[in-house]
Amino acid sequence: MKTLISRRNILKTAGAGAAVAALPVNLARAAKPKVVVIGGGPGGATAAHYIAKDSKGAIDVTLVEPSKIYTTCFFSNWYIGGFRNFESITHSYNRLADMGISIVHEYATGIDPDGKTVTLSDGVKLPYDRLILAPGIDFKFDEIEGYGPDSTEIMPHAYKAGPQTVLLHDQLHAMKDGGLFIMVAPPNPYRCPPGPYERVSMVAHYLKNNKPKSKILVLDPKGKFSKMGLFQEAWARYYDGMVEWLPGEMLAGGVKSVHTASMTVKTPDEEFKGDVINVIPPQVAGRIARDTGLTDASGWCPIEPATMESKLAPGIHLVGDSTIAGDMPKSGFSANSQAKACAMAIRHELTASRAFPPRFANTCWSLVAPSDAVKVGASYKATDEKIEKVDGFISSTGETGTLRAQNAEEAVGWYSGITADMFG
Amino acid sequence: METYTVPKMPARRIHEGSRPVFVLTVFVIWAVLTPCRPSQGADLEYGAYLASECTTCHRADGETEGIPAIVGWDEQHFIDALKAYLGKTRDNPTMRTIAKRLTDEDMQALAAYFRSLAD
Repeated sequence: MKTLISRRNILKTAGAGAAVAALPVNLARAAKPKVVVIGGGPGGATAAHYIAKDSKGAIDVTLVEPSKIYTTCFFSNWYIGGFRNFESITHSYNRLADMGISIVHEYATGIDPDGKTVTLSDGVKLPYDRLILAPGIDFKFDEIEGYGPDSTEIMPHAYKAGPQTVLLHDQLHAMKDGGLFIMVAPPNPYRCPPGPYERVSMVAHYLKNNKPKSKILVLDPKGKFSKMGLFQEAWARYYDGMVEWLPGEMLAGGVKSVHTASMTVKTPDEEFKGDVINVIPPQVAGRIARDTGLTDASGWCPIEPATMESKLAPGIHLVGDSTIAGDMPKSGFSANSQAKACAMAIRHELTASRAFPPRFANTCWSLVAPSDAVKVGASYKATDEKIEKVDGFISSTGETGTLRAQNAEEAVGWYSGITADMFG
Repeated sequence: METYTVPKMPARRIHEGSRPVFVLTVFVIWAVLTPCRPSQGADLEYGAYLASECTTCHRADGETEGIPAIVGWDEQHFIDALKAYLGKTRDNPTMRTIAKRLTDEDMQALAAYFRSLAD
């Protein structure tokens, strides 16, 4: 198999098109290793992109993603705050298709790890040599009484970007001045740790400028959160008196039930009525990972740190929010970083390309006000036990406006960079 | 360069002589077809691997929107810029975190790789 691949590459490199055509094409095609990627977000799209780009045609790559367009979760808060339009956070897979990746817009309904096939919603079975799952998160709808999939149309989560993001945005715009915006924040672990609090900042920015008599109430099961001091400094500085954050210890643990008809949410001791209610539910690895037995008792997927290969099913790799990624947070940046390590390991396995020790990284920028962004970041390495933090940083309270404006500009540059890195 | 072995997948297997014909063939093709690469001897493949950490933010196509383009730079200038994050002249914490774990060899490979992207 590998001899054939070598010959094909050499001939192609030499520009001997006629000679390539003279090869036993069917045999050569049959010999090409196949990688199937399920999920077209930061993890899946990046993995497909890098395997296709770096294998230079030696590996057949298929990306299974039901949606023809992808709206990024990152920067969806900027849209809610009025800092981006919706089109600017929505992307197609056209450039990945142009690179030779087969894009299949179907749901993956099942995986046979022994037979190495993926079954699609149209009944087609895709064979694979290596499978990458990037299924992201699902919501645990059974954990907040009264909050089911249908409730999301009334109390949006807006934590998988797309129509939900637009719904929350439109509800905010339709809210009366003097209204109450309630956020039910999620328990750990969840996607994008600073995400709910950046959203609070963006909603506050919108309300301050458009409906200044309104209030925001955050009902949080946690006692602390990512970049807490930085967000609280910003809320006091820019939106004084508008944002009230209540920790779990003041809520007898947090919100236990919701009632969509009356627009109320309940803790064990209290009831709150809101005009717009954003419920970000508890989270778990995406369905296909759970159905395939790739999750442990925590609901998340254990992986080999250096290769992102499942600890429970050899030959299947996982990247992004669904994984137990040691010290790395669940973020689009992390998923993108893990996808490159995974792509390198799979190319090495299938084509004997060189492999190096993966260097993972993450940075999360959060916009707190116009031209004011804070950031947290770290570098990571793979040890035998986990993905381990090497070094990190976080913005400080009291920083200069110049520095914060640079951060905001940098965040815009990062968005441009990572989306090009994902979608080609 | 760090010495490292990917679990279950021996790193740099290609150089261990398991397929001498393949290695020799690839080398010959590389040598014939790429006579004018920047920094003769720089490990561009290693640079490409290191660069994947950069391209989350710095676009590989050299386009720029809020984060500087780093494609096509003079290699010494590129290395000097990275080293400036190790001293007091440049203080971006994101870049400092990245620069801190780059060896001189890493920086040379990165500089050569990003220079090569402009060709």
